[in-house]
Amino acid sequence: MIEKEKLRKTDVYSGIAIFLFGAWIVWQATKMPMKDSWGGVQNVWFVSPALFPLFIGTIIMLLGLLLFRTALKAIGTKAFGSSLQWLFSKDLLQFLNSVPILRFYAMAVLLLSFVFLNIPRIDFFLSAVLFLSAFITMFYFDEAVLLKKLFFFYLAGTAFFIIYFAADIDGLLSRLLPYVKDILALAFILGYCLYAWRLIGSSPLLRKKYRTGLIVAIVAPFAVGFIFKYFLLVPMPSEGLVVAILDAVWYFEF
Amino acid sequence: MMLLERIGAYFQIVFHLASDPLNILILLSSVVLGIMFGAMPGLTSTLGVALLTALTYGMDTATAMLCLLAIYVGGTYGGSYASILINIPGTAASAATALDGYPLACKGEAGRAIGLTTTASAIGTIISMLFLVSISPLISFFALQFTSFEFFLLAFFGILISGTLTSPDLVIKGWIAGFLGLFLACVGRDLLQFYPRFTFGISELDSGVEVVPVLIGAFGIPQIIQVLKEQFQIGEAQKLQRILPEFGTIVRNIPRIIRSALIGVGIGAVPGIGEDIAAWVSYGAAKNTSKHPETFGKGEIKAVLCTEVANNACVGGAMIPLLNLGIPGSPPAAMLLGALMLHGVTPGPMITFEHPTFIMEVAAILLLASLSMWVVGMLLAKQVVKVLRIPPQLFMPIIGVLCIIGSYSLGMNIWNLYLMLPVGIVSYFLIEMGYPIAPLVIGVILGPMADENLRRALMVSQGSFMPVFTRPVSLILFLVIVWTVVSQFPAYRRFKDKLLEKIFRRKSRKADYDVDRSEEG
Repeated sequence: MIEKEKLRKTDVYSGIAIFLFGAWIVWQATKMPMKDSWGGVQNVWFVSPALFPLFIGTIIMLLGLLLFRTALKAIGTKAFGSSLQWLFSKDLLQFLNSVPILRFYAMAVLLLSFVFLNIPRIDFFLSAVLFLSAFITMFYFDEAVLLKKLFFFYLAGTAFFIIYFAADIDGLLSRLLPYVKDILALAFILGYCLYAWRLIGSSPLLRKKYRTGLIVAIVAPFAVGFIFKYFLLVPMPSEGLVVAILDAVWYFEF
Repeated sequence: MMLLERIGAYFQIVFHLASDPLNILILLSSVVLGIMFGAMPGLTSTLGVALLTALTYGMDTATAMLCLLAIYVGGTYGGSYASILINIPGTAASAATALDGYPLACKGEAGRAIGLTTTASAIGTIISMLFLVSISPLISFFALQFTSFEFFLLAFFGILISGTLTSPDLVIKGWIAGFLGLFLACVGRDLLQFYPRFTFGISELDSGVEVVPVLIGAFGIPQIIQVLKEQFQIGEAQKLQRILPEFGTIVRNIPRIIRSALIGVGIGAVPGIGEDIAAWVSYGAAKNTSKHPETFGKGEIKAVLCTEVANNACVGGAMIPLLNLGIPGSPPAAMLLGALMLHGVTPGPMITFEHPTFIMEVAAILLLASLSMWVVGMLLAKQVVKVLRIPPQLFMPIIGVLCIIGSYSLGMNIWNLYLMLPVGIVSYFLIEMGYPIAPLVIGVILGPMADENLRRALMVSQGSFMPVFTRPVSLILFLVIVWTVVSQFPAYRRFKDKLLEKIFRRKSRKADYDVDRSEEG
C-alpha cells in the first residue's frame, strides 16, 4: 500500500472514477425493463431486474462522492492542484521509468501474453515453459539491467507472435507444416534462454541461478500439466506438439 | 438421549473417515501442503484452498472437504513457522505470533515455541469444532424463521461489516469494495426474469461471473505482483531445536486458552474477517490481562499461545455462518463456499434437511485435520521448514501457472482465464490504493442472495418496505446496519461524546448536590 499522503491524493482520483462508475451502472440499469413487458410478463418496479443494479449504482456513486470529499478535505485544494501538475510533469515519466514500475510492467506483460496470447493458441506445455523461464530469469537474477534487457527481448518475441496471429500467417504456414506455431514457440524459448545465458556472462552466482531457474521452468509445467491432463483428465486449453508426443507415449504404454 | 445419539453419530463419521487409508493419505498430504502454503511468506491459506479447489473438482464432496479443510487448518497454523524462525509472518494470521515467537527463537527456544504453537493450534481448532457442532442447530433453527427481508439484510450487513472491519485505510473503501463485488454479482442473466444484465451481448457472460476464478484472481494475482515487485528477500532462519508438545504450559494456561478460543470463534463467525484480526485481538487481551505486560514483545510464551489458539479457533468459527447461513466468516471460508457450490452443496438453513450429516462431517474433518496437523507439526516440522529457503522468485511464477490452470480447469472454460486475470490486476490496484479485497469477494458471493431476496421480499409485500420494521429480526438487522454506517461518521462521534459528557456532567452535578445536601443535613 502507498503512503498516507499519496494515498489521499490517489483517493481524490479514485473517488471520481468510482463515482463515474456508479453513474454508469445507474445509466445501464435505466435501460433495463422497469415497467415494460419482458418475456411476455408485465413488469413492476419491485421485481424489475434493474432494481438491484440501481440500488448498487446509487450507493457506489454516493460512496465515490464521499471518498472524493474526504480525500479533498484531507489534502486541501492546493495539494490537489500540485498533484494535477505532477500528472503533466517530467516527474511522471521518471516515475513510470522506475525499477519497481518496470517490474510491474514485466509481470503484467508476462501474465497478459500468457493468458490472452499463448494459452489459447500455443501448446500448453510450451507456453507454460516459456512463461516460467521468462518470469523466473527476469526476477530471480535480481538485477535491474538484466530485467530490462530480458523484458525487451520477451516483448519483441510477443510482438512477433501478435503480428503472426493477427495477420493469420499461422493459417497459411500450418497448411504446409504441422505444429508450426509450436515450433516457433520452441525456437523463441531456445532463443530467449541463449540470450539470457549470454547476458549473465561468467558470474558463477548468476549461472547457478540460471540453471536452477531453467530446471524449475521445465519440471513445474510438466508436473502440473501431467496431473491435470492424465490424472484429472482435463484437456489442456491448447494441445499441440508436446501434448501429441505425451499422448503417444502415455496411451501407447498404458 | 438425543445428545448421546448425536455424539455417537459424530464418532461414527470420524471412524468412518479415518478407517479409509486413502482419506488419511489425503488428509496428511493436504495438511503438509497447507503448512507449506502458510509457512512460505507470500502464500496464504486462502490461496492454498483456492488452488486446490481445482484439484478436488473430480472428488466426492466429503473427500474434497477433507482436502480443503486440512489445507485451511494447516495453512493457518503454518504461518507461525516463518513468524518464529525468520520474523516474517507466513500469513497475516501469524503476524502477532512473530512479536514474541521470534525473540523466543533468538533465545534458542524456537523448538519450544513451534511445539507450543502446534499444540495450541490443534486445541484452538478442536474447541472451535465443538462450537460449530453445538451452536449450528441453534442458528439453523433461527435461520429457518428468516424470510427474504432478513436474508437480504443479512447479506447487506455481511458486506458492510466486512468492509468496516477489514479496511486498512478509510472505512468507505471497504464498503466500496463490497459494492463493487455486488456489482460483479449482477453480471449475467438475473435469477428471476432471466434478463441479461451488463453482458454486452457476450454469451459467455450470460451465466454470470464464475465465483472461483474471481476468487483465484482476487487473491492470487495481487499476491504474486506484490511479492515480486517489492524485491522481497527472505532472511536467515533461526535454528530449530527439538520440538516438544509443551503440555505443561498448556495445562497452566487453560483460562487463557478458553478466552482466546472464544475470541477466535467469535471473530471467525463475523462475516468476512478472519484469523489475522482474531490473533491481534487475542494478543491484546492477553497483554491487557497479564500481570507482566512488559514481557510482551520480548519472547513471552503466553502471547504465542494466545495468538495461535485464537487464529486456529477462527477456522471453526468461520464455518458457523458459512454452513448455517451461507455467509462466509473469513476469506478462506469464502473460497470453501465456492468449492461447496462446485460440488452441488448450497450452504444455508436448509443444509440440515438437504444434507443431514454434513455439519457433522465438517466437524469430524476439523477434528481429524487438527490431529493430523499436530502429528505433522511434531514429527515433520524440521523437514517442512526447509521450504523457507526457497526464494519467492522461484515459487511465485509457479503459483501464477497454478492460478491459471486452476481457473481454467473449473468448467474447462478459457473464458474463466479472461475473467480471472483482469480481476486480479484490478484487485492489485485496489489493494495498492488501500481497498480491502475480502469485502469484494464477499460481495461477489452474497450478491445473488441479496438480489434475489430483495426482489422476492418486495414481491411478497407488494412493494412495501414495512415488513423491515414490523418483523423483529429484520428491525434488529436494520438498526445494526444503520448503526454500523452511522457510527463511522465524525458527526456521530461528536454527538456521542457530547451526549456522554452531558450525562456525566448531570451525574456529577447530582452527586455534588447530594454531597452538599448531606453536608447541610
